[in-house]
Amino acid sequence: MPESGFASILSNKQSEPKNGEQLDLFLQTLINGLLIGGVIATFTIGFQLTFGVLHVIDFAVGGWVVLGGYLAYYISALLKLDGFLAIPVAFLLFGAIGYLIGPILYNVRNSRTARPELMALALTFGLFTLLRGGMLTAWGFNTHSVPTALSGESLTIGPVTVPMIRVAAAVFAIVIAGGLFLFLYRTRYGLAIRATAENRQNAALMGVNIRRLSANVYGLYAGITAMAGVLMAAIFSVNPEVGLRYTLFAFFVAVLAGLGSVGGALVAALMLGTIEAFVSTYVGSSYSLLAIFATLFLVLLVSPRGILKRGL
Amino acid sequence: MSTNSRGVSRRRFLEGAAVATGALGMPFVRTARADAPTFKAGVITSLSGENILGGNLTKRGYDMWADVINAKGGVEVGGDRFKVEMFYGDDQSNPATGADAAERLIVQNEVDVLFGPYTSGSTIAVQPICQKYQVPMISGSAESPNVWKAKPEFNFGIIPAVDITAGKSLAVLAKAASPAPKTVAVIGVNEPFSKETGEGFRDGAKAAGLDLVAYELVPAEGDLTPVISKIAALKPDMVAVGGHEEPLINVVKTSKSLNFRPKALIMHYGVTDPAFAQALTADADGTCGVVVWLPTVPYKDDLFGTAKDFADMVQKKFGHEPDYTEAGCAVSGLVFGDAVKRLGKKPALSPEDRVALKDAIAETDLHTFYGPIKFEKDGDHFHDNIQPEPVLVQIQGGKTVAVGHEGGAGAALTYPLPAWK
Repeated sequence: MPESGFASILSNKQSEPKNGEQLDLFLQTLINGLLIGGVIATFTIGFQLTFGVLHVIDFAVGGWVVLGGYLAYYISALLKLDGFLAIPVAFLLFGAIGYLIGPILYNVRNSRTARPELMALALTFGLFTLLRGGMLTAWGFNTHSVPTALSGESLTIGPVTVPMIRVAAAVFAIVIAGGLFLFLYRTRYGLAIRATAENRQNAALMGVNIRRLSANVYGLYAGITAMAGVLMAAIFSVNPEVGLRYTLFAFFVAVLAGLGSVGGALVAALMLGTIEAFVSTYVGSSYSLLAIFATLFLVLLVSPRGILKRGL
Repeated sequence: MSTNSRGVSRRRFLEGAAVATGALGMPFVRTARADAPTFKAGVITSLSGENILGGNLTKRGYDMWADVINAKGGVEVGGDRFKVEMFYGDDQSNPATGADAAERLIVQNEVDVLFGPYTSGSTIAVQPICQKYQVPMISGSAESPNVWKAKPEFNFGIIPAVDITAGKSLAVLAKAASPAPKTVAVIGVNEPFSKETGEGFRDGAKAAGLDLVAYELVPAEGDLTPVISKIAALKPDMVAVGGHEEPLINVVKTSKSLNFRPKALIMHYGVTDPAFAQALTADADGTCGVVVWLPTVPYKDDLFGTAKDFADMVQKKFGHEPDYTEAGCAVSGLVFGDAVKRLGKKPALSPEDRVALKDAIAETDLHTFYGPIKFEKDGDHFHDNIQPEPVLVQIQGGKTVAVGHEGGAGAALTYPLPAWK
């Protein structure tokens, strides 16, 4: 009979770490959770920004992540360079492509058709399918890994082992979130973005070129997300099929954070990562997704605008 | 109901048009079959979706057989040779879609035989379709024991179920390792094949007298850091993993990032896929796997020649060394050719012929480059070919070498594994 779930938990009781090691495992789990939360946050922040300005749930987010990963793979495989060098290239290349796609998305979202929000959703889903199919055709179906200077490097602090590449991802998320905050709250252009997110008509009346702003925001989002993809490919691996997973996680985090809330995305990602780590370690890995869904359900029930109550 | 000006209802008009189109088309279909009778073989596998890599391996194996047999003039029946025509159905890595694809191949393409999907889930979904239309299906890939437990009348499997291979491999590994390992932790990805592989490892550990310190099922989408951290804290001698390529790669990467290396790491499917070693480069070294075929096994047949000859053919055609899935799929065609030859029926096979073909396949007793083929006639592995012995392999210097098989070229097992560099 298959041994899973609670049977697995019971069977593991006899093999649990000893008392002195329990605290070590707890600390390790906490670090694991916070770091994976930081990793998830990297590709969720831009997703939130796009929703805030364009009012579009971008299902193509996973596609941008995978494209960034492939760029890093080819830079490391063909040019024999460190995968991290792909980060600025990913931002510039996919930022430019996003800038070109942004106006199309804007037109669809603001078209006079019935339910333009659904049309925009369908467009991003179509874009995701196109990206996935294109990558499969162009680059095949093999899974690739991206070596970087930090791959396999770890820092041991007492009983806790900290994977350096995850630290880099978490730092990246914090820097990006911080940078976005500064940009949004300390610059005139950030003010224009916030004004557009709040009330598009009023912003337009104040002289904001909404169309151009949407293109810039989508370009910024695509660039940031592709940079996150470089980190994802370095931490995990990349193939054309993993994009859907990132899209789903971005959506989970966005719902938990409150759609459009950039700060909430960071908090929600850390929260989800920690829940996943603790449930995996102390209950069983097969319950981790259940715990994530239960958390989402409860948060939506209690605070539909997200944990920070700042979502749309 | 709407009618046109002559009073003919729209429905009747459409019915008439459909009948006329069918009547015009049928002679061409019949003529095509009458002019060049061929055996029609339908391949259902994952040509898109998450299992696309394995799906393409199965397709390549089946295609390899079709190419080789067609190059020799086709399948021999009663002194004549009949070429093979291949039709493909994409299950999109989704069992329900696989069942639909199988039905289309049978009803629309009128295939004489089906070659089965890459995944066990799709195979199980297609079995009722085979039963309904009474079309035999030879599976060159499905390894889940659940494929055979329901005693599928029209389905035959070339590869031994994973509960046999995974279970035996731990005992072989424990026997080859010195000093003898005592503890093992098992991880299984929570999807049908991988979970059953994990269960095979778990049961094999108990049978080999090893202390099972952890048995963890992980979601395919989840982060592996928590479970690897937990297992690292238990300090097992060996870690066994049931999963496909991507989680296997991530297990190695996560273990390295946590600076955890057990004395032995054994996985099942995927280790022999060249993409595994390419993705991990030097970090793949030392990883053990279980296979039922290698190019070094000492078997041969009249169509493909030796195992090495087959490997060379695949290398030439597809640019990589074949793994046992491709070999198993190529041999599926060989089994069909042998059965239809014994049956003595020329294409196209009638429904009665297909039932007789199923009976002929059940009586297969072949020696091939893949190894012996003989299907079980009863028990939990009904219609599965459990003849091949699992081969323990290890990646050494980027190459997959046999380390525990009497017939294969045996190399010394690297044990315990050195610390990560």
